[in-house]
Amino acid sequence: MTAISRSWNRLTLPGKVIFTVVPALVVLTIGLVVAIAILGGPALDLVVANLPIVRFVVAATAILLMTIPTAFLIIYMEMKGIALMNLRIGPDRVGPFGSLLSVVHGLKVLMKEDFTPTGADSVVFTWAPVVVYLASVMTLLVIPFGPGLVGQHFQLGLLYFFAISGLSVVGLLMAGWASFNKYSLLGGLRSAAQVISYEIPLVLSVVGVIMLAGTMDLVVIVENQAGWFTDWYIWQQPLGALIFFIAATAEANRTPFDLTEADSEIVAGFATEYSGMRFGFFFFAEYVNVFIISALTVTLFFGGWNAPFPWPWPITLDLNPGSLGIGLLFVVALVPLALTLILATPFWLVSSRIKGWQALVIGFVLANLFLVGAVAAAGYIGFDWVAGLAWFMLKAYVFVFIFVWMRGTLPRVRIDQLMNFAWKWLMELAFLNIFITAGAIILIKYLNPEALP
Amino acid sequence: MDRRFKARLDARFGEVLRGPIRQRHDETEMRIGPGDVVPVMTALHDDPAFRFEFLADLCGVDTGDVMQAVYHLWSDVTPDWLRIIVDGLSRDDPRVPSLTFLWKGAEWMEREAYDMFGIIFEGNRDLRRIYMPPDYTSFPLRKDFHLPDDAARSPGGGVRHMEQAHLPTDTPAAAIRRTPASRQLPSR
Amino acid sequence: MTTTRRPSADDPRVMLDQELGVFEPVPPYPPRTEREAEFYTLGDGEMFINMGPQHPSTHGVLRVVLKIDGENVVDLDPVLGYLHRGVEKLCENADYHQCISQVDPLEYVSSLFNEWGAVLSFEKLLDVQVPRRAEYIRVLSAELNRVASHALFMGWMALDLGGLTPILWSFIERDEIVEMLASLTGQRMLFNYFRIGGVNGDLNHDFMSRLGNWMSRATEQIEANTGLLNENEIFVRRMRGLGTIDTPTALRMCFTGPNLRATGVPFDIRRAHPYSVYPELDFDIPTRDEGDCLARYLLRVDEVKQSLRIIDQCLHQMPDGPIMAKLPRLLRPRPGRAYSAVEGPRGQYATYVMSDGTDQPYRMRIHDPSFIHLQSVGLLMEGNLIADTMAIMASLDPIMGGVDK
Repeated sequence: MTAISRSWNRLTLPGKVIFTVVPALVVLTIGLVVAIAILGGPALDLVVANLPIVRFVVAATAILLMTIPTAFLIIYMEMKGIALMNLRIGPDRVGPFGSLLSVVHGLKVLMKEDFTPTGADSVVFTWAPVVVYLASVMTLLVIPFGPGLVGQHFQLGLLYFFAISGLSVVGLLMAGWASFNKYSLLGGLRSAAQVISYEIPLVLSVVGVIMLAGTMDLVVIVENQAGWFTDWYIWQQPLGALIFFIAATAEANRTPFDLTEADSEIVAGFATEYSGMRFGFFFFAEYVNVFIISALTVTLFFGGWNAPFPWPWPITLDLNPGSLGIGLLFVVALVPLALTLILATPFWLVSSRIKGWQALVIGFVLANLFLVGAVAAAGYIGFDWVAGLAWFMLKAYVFVFIFVWMRGTLPRVRIDQLMNFAWKWLMELAFLNIFITAGAIILIKYLNPEALP
Repeated sequence: MDRRFKARLDARFGEVLRGPIRQRHDETEMRIGPGDVVPVMTALHDDPAFRFEFLADLCGVDTGDVMQAVYHLWSDVTPDWLRIIVDGLSRDDPRVPSLTFLWKGAEWMEREAYDMFGIIFEGNRDLRRIYMPPDYTSFPLRKDFHLPDDAARSPGGGVRHMEQAHLPTDTPAAAIRRTPASRQLPSR
Repeated sequence: MTTTRRPSADDPRVMLDQELGVFEPVPPYPPRTEREAEFYTLGDGEMFINMGPQHPSTHGVLRVVLKIDGENVVDLDPVLGYLHRGVEKLCENADYHQCISQVDPLEYVSSLFNEWGAVLSFEKLLDVQVPRRAEYIRVLSAELNRVASHALFMGWMALDLGGLTPILWSFIERDEIVEMLASLTGQRMLFNYFRIGGVNGDLNHDFMSRLGNWMSRATEQIEANTGLLNENEIFVRRMRGLGTIDTPTALRMCFTGPNLRATGVPFDIRRAHPYSVYPELDFDIPTRDEGDCLARYLLRVDEVKQSLRIIDQCLHQMPDGPIMAKLPRLLRPRPGRAYSAVEGPRGQYATYVMSDGTDQPYRMRIHDPSFIHLQSVGLLMEGNLIADTMAIMASLDPIMGGVDK
């Protein structure tokens, strides 16, 4: 034993890492192989028998995991976008154009000291960020990202969405109350009042869409908007879309309705006493919320995953790589090499400052980009879900950019002006929208019985 | 330098003045006692011949043997600033009536004068310290309050090298500084 | 119902000897004055909120204790002294020349006015005649400083209301002006430029070229910067009708400067009590009648335009000549008193100097406009919300260096 401990102490740190990780990996792999061999068959039968459950679990996990890079990306967009609007540079150092900064922020938030203030109710204090985060993220389950790409196909998808997102109020109140701090209490109450006030116009403004589509199923709503961009519901529900957008901005606590996190007034509102990963949860929840409301706007009013023009799916490409036989091996080996050389040569020839190996590097990068582009194009043409996902993400991020733009431009609204606006204006306009839509539907049905579903 | 204004002031307030009205450049200065503050200031404020509605400054002064409260007023009937020196406040218990009944904005200026000098403004509803912490016991701008480097030059300093404050002694400024720390104004 | 578990006395996280209580900003001694008693007794449903010296929004280190009833602010009590440096006492132990640099950091955003106030008093005591070129250079640099200070105000006002962009755009303006003044005076912020009897250095080529560049773009820049906010519905709605003060109240609170002119009184020391070469310059005194935050904001924008006019005239009318009067090195004014006031960007900045015949002032009293204006925040806050505290304080434009001296 001492021989082992002596030789262990003589190792350097990399040596220790290798001698721990490699045996662990080997053991893990052997164990996994054995497990699959023994249990594989029955496990597969179990999965096949409960396919819907397994699919749900996989979808939910994928969605949860997807929120993190989304939040990172939106945080970076906001920092860089607002900086450029302020005529500053913004994140610049970490990664190309500072793009890795939000990753670093995420790591920083994990590494900070995570304390509970004395006097705070620790159970409620700990669970508040979880409630807020879950209330935001669980709504992603019903949003259709592409044809066939929806976490769970509910017929009452929209109802589920609003019900779950309303749970965030509970989380805000928990955070404000449990912090044992007057600022947090005030901030939490203000947040809760704001969110509750704007939920009514939010829900009422989509009733028009529900009437037009005839269902609360988000997948059906998106499918109804297929075709040219003139089929999108924005043209048929302009007032509803406007109300929805404004109410959603207030729901997500974004400028101009961000008084809960107004640092010129109440430091950080309900999140004053939070630090470390718990604050990270609030932070992430807010940015994921931005994505979610953009996604919902796109789904309801801008055609969801539909392209602005109709596309005849599926187009099958008559590619049959298997017919090449052994030639496939040569293709796979030689095409990247050939592409690299072909793309490197012009650079090497044109400028004498670019040496041979630098040209090869450039060529390699470009070749990779080309191949990725080719695969993406093939995916886009061949699979409708790739195209749908691409269009959905593009449209959703346009709206995310609009939210970022509003944050950089507009000052904040005061709490009483905000409540006035919700209760005296938006709610009335939402009701008006419902009446107009209902009237229009009845009129059109009377004049042309087959026009609407 | 508005001579007619001086004449009007002399005519109106001649009895209560404690010295001649002096004028220099664009300032007119009169001295009164603490008991005359209320009638004089009310007259200056309300009387349509004077209409001094603008209080420019209020401060305290420690002249070494007495304390003073100094007010500066502005009116558009005269191009001069009017300076009113309330003279003769004792150093042990300086009391002046407060001007907050005319100008609410004098409240903090009086607080500052109290904080720095210890002058009590009677009638100020909020006469507590404004700059120094509330449990501070000295009045910093008085002439017997020494800054640390002043105290280092005290004549009672020790003999050893470490106990001396080694400052240049051959400059003209040092010669003037060798007078005692509580300087007095030449009586004028 | 969950019970809050209070940590026990031997819990190492609790560093207090006494039992953990609720921390109120109420002073731990009985109230000493009527106003303190009135403020620190809570009515029904009221609570104290402390906007402490460390706060992202107060204009420097200022502690404001708010007594709130829900969202409404019932009363407020500013607590000063966090930046008190004892400038007046220090000036009593310093030469007249050293006093100028002591007085610089008071309203650090507009340092040249601080120096000007001090220097005017000293020149009155010494009966010094300042050469005309020096006076013109003083006016030119001071008006540039006024524009820089107002640019800061405009940006800061928007920042306190939540707009992140205008402050950075205003700082581009301010940066250009400050670089200009750095090439003239050697410093970007606490200039230490005015001297008794003149100024320190003459205009140089770098300064003139920067000034020319800036002047050619200044008007459009200001239009662009303020255009983002002046018509913005949210901005206007938050500021209009807020913190309204009428003329008699303003005079009673000893207001000066743009805060007074926004109530309709055209009182400007440059016209009411002229100093330097302002009688020879042609400019208007903008006033507004409403007396609310929006009026104060728009008035300062108008003042920037007037300052640009003054700068233009200074450039055209600049005479030749010396920039410093001939004075002995050791200044010993005869015993006497002098008071002088200048129109700073915040209001009347005045100094009262008493001389006893030595080379150090006997008493140097500095009257600062921000100090006066901060008194009235409590008056203006009647019935407003917490969010308005920031807006009102920002519209009065206090600089804590001046408030705390």
